Amino acid sequence: MAEAIGWLLDVYAEDDGINLWLLTDDDKRLHLRMEFDITFYAAGDFNLLRQVWKYLKEKDVKLERTVRRDLFLGERDVMAVTTSNPAGLQKMFGELQRQFPSLDYYDADIPITLRFIARTNTYLLGRCHVRFDDEWIQSIEPLSSPWEIDPTPIPLRILTLAPDCNPAIRKPKQLHVKYGQREYSLFLDSPRPFLIGLKADLQRLDPDLILTDYGDTWLFPQLGAWSEETGIELNPNRDENRQIMTRKADSYFAYGQVTYRGAQSHLFGRWHIDRKNAMSFGEYGLEGAMEQARVTGIGVQEMARKSPGAGITAMQMLTALCNAVMVPVQKQQVEGTKTLSELIRADHGGLIYQPLIGLHGNVAQIDFSSMYPAIMVKHNISPETVGLENAPEGLIPKTLRPLLEKRLMLKNILSDLDPRDCRVEILKARAAALKWLLVVCFGYLGYKNARFGKIESHEAVTATSRELMLQAKEVAEDMGFTVIHMYVDCLFVQQEGFHKPSEFTPLMNAIEEKTGIPIALEGVFKWVAFLASKRDARVPVPNQYFGAFQDGTLKYRGIELRRRDTTLWVRKIQLKALEVLAGANTPHEFADRIPDVMALVECAKRDLRIGRVPLGELVIRQRLSRTIEAYKTPSPAARAALQLQAHGRQFAPGQSLEFLFARNATGVHAWELDETLDSGRLDTKRYCKLLDRAVQTVLDPGKPLLVPQRLL
Amino acid sequence: MGRTLVTITQLLTETEANLSAFRRTLRRSDQYIFDGLFAAARRHIAAIGQAESLLPFETALLAMLLEQSKEIAVLQQELDELKKKNLG
Repeated sequence: MAEAIGWLLDVYAEDDGINLWLLTDDDKRLHLRMEFDITFYAAGDFNLLRQVWKYLKEKDVKLERTVRRDLFLGERDVMAVTTSNPAGLQKMFGELQRQFPSLDYYDADIPITLRFIARTNTYLLGRCHVRFDDEWIQSIEPLSSPWEIDPTPIPLRILTLAPDCNPAIRKPKQLHVKYGQREYSLFLDSPRPFLIGLKADLQRLDPDLILTDYGDTWLFPQLGAWSEETGIELNPNRDENRQIMTRKADSYFAYGQVTYRGAQSHLFGRWHIDRKNAMSFGEYGLEGAMEQARVTGIGVQEMARKSPGAGITAMQMLTALCNAVMVPVQKQQVEGTKTLSELIRADHGGLIYQPLIGLHGNVAQIDFSSMYPAIMVKHNISPETVGLENAPEGLIPKTLRPLLEKRLMLKNILSDLDPRDCRVEILKARAAALKWLLVVCFGYLGYKNARFGKIESHEAVTATSRELMLQAKEVAEDMGFTVIHMYVDCLFVQQEGFHKPSEFTPLMNAIEEKTGIPIALEGVFKWVAFLASKRDARVPVPNQYFGAFQDGTLKYRGIELRRRDTTLWVRKIQLKALEVLAGANTPHEFADRIPDVMALVECAKRDLRIGRVPLGELVIRQRLSRTIEAYKTPSPAARAALQLQAHGRQFAPGQSLEFLFARNATGVHAWELDETLDSGRLDTKRYCKLLDRAVQTVLDPGKPLLVPQRLL
Repeated sequence: MGRTLVTITQLLTETEANLSAFRRTLRRSDQYIFDGLFAAARRHIAAIGQAESLLPFETALLAMLLEQSKEIAVLQQELDELKKKNLG
């Protein structure tokens, strides 16, 4: 019997078991197989179950009557269906469900990786020890845990492929190839030599990860087309028996906006990640995607493209599998009936206060760390425990506890490290990846399609958070602080004579003692401005503020600078203005610097008028919220889309458009048009207006302080 | 995010819209004061929400009153200080 030690790279289903790829300590890539039976369950009317029995008897499955636990209904009589063909499960189950739609099904759509982890306790990207006979695994033993703070890094071979331009706009001429320190280009003008070149590179380098730009939407579909055209076969999979798995493009509505997701190309035995089609890749990169794969049990290729919600669902499924709880295929929990007054009491979000408008000096911002997950864990809030006293630890807290602890530990390590330390970037990416899993976990408690969601548990979390915020406010006021603002999980407090961070420590200790949730000082602002509504200067807006911490760092939320639809030019000038103001140590010094900012703005406007601002900095980016035909009055983005449509481009809702404001019939000029806009046709007035608005946002809070001087 | 009840912010906006004919009939100078009443209520949206009242607008009226009392208290204080200065 042979044996090997290494990292688990990939797991996927096959007709007669599962395939595994191991990256061994002696730098080999082992392809292993494992017999793997899969069981799912059906429950419901006994007559129907008897019919199912008859229906399935003909198929190659094992049937058994048994008792299993449903999270909400408790022990249930179920029929267990076991197959030794994991790859065929989906089809068989699909047919069964169509024949008998009224039964309750469990464990039928669990990703194979999760089943594998639940059975072997060996996680993806984790280290393990395998014994095998002729590529068939006899035993597998985990050597690491996903909760390790400092996992041994995987020596991945990464091949980067990127075209020289966005293929949706122009036809690329070259493909840049990067491997380790080496970089070169392959020419795309003739498919035959290109395919031969790329094929040779893939065979020679044998990468574990192909990292591309536009791989999903352009490169892999194009490779297929060229392959067919030239007759040169090129299979980018490491498993040569597999073809690329493609998923279609779609537009969907989530988090209040329409999003477009391009087609996807997944590989077997190695990974493909398209940096331009990976949802949160920009936020935490490969390190973060790998961290999420490690703790959620969803493959890296999937995790990089999916929302963190898919990750947290997977973690809940895994907890259920490990605790012998069945995972329902369809959500069964609906909202319980409530009286009107109960509904009025329950149907609230987090506590959002109305700030005191204007400029304030020496304000401390203190944040509850991971407040919602911490509440779920500390108060044992889970869909099956809500409303019960002394219930055993629920499924959700059980899932979250290690995640929360790991993130807090990573954050503690980060706060002790020198910011120049080379580990900082990686640790930050990993902490951010875990943060997103924690953030969405709360939403999923109340999400209508979540397997283990129940709106009451969602409401219990926000109700607890509001109570804790009010407790924190009371503690602060008892200690003589003014609460300038409160926002869901953070407080802005001020007290005459307090400005050193250490002076706020007793307050934080008192709040932590009262609420039982850890709280941390984000920083002390030299000055911070809370903004008024643009419509009525007497009305405060809760989520628009900016300020400078004592070390001069700026923090800004909700202002133009943070908005993606603001042009780079306006953002640049607004940031410059803030940097001028960041030099001020008090609100009065802030007011003194207003003339400097005005001079800066005048200078910027002059540059614009004489054509010194590069057009690229004036590009506006807006998203289409519907199909172009559906607009009654086309938005600027829709008008730009119309210009491009005339040149044969197609657009789906959720796609972004770039354009300039121009003095022509439509008022816009699509940035992707081949002819560039004559700088004389630029609508400079419109841009100046945009800038004025942004500058006004920044200066308005300081203006009341100017008045007394003028009066004198 | 999928809430069943309207938020206090929405409720105030709706109430204000319902009163638009009333507002329109007021003199421009009075309209500004009228808008101020709603601005005063909007400073206490969180508290109105927490009150869990069946008729939130009642609580909104209370918030308007609260802001008015606050303003009177501030003016009273300033008046007292001025009086003290004059006497001194």
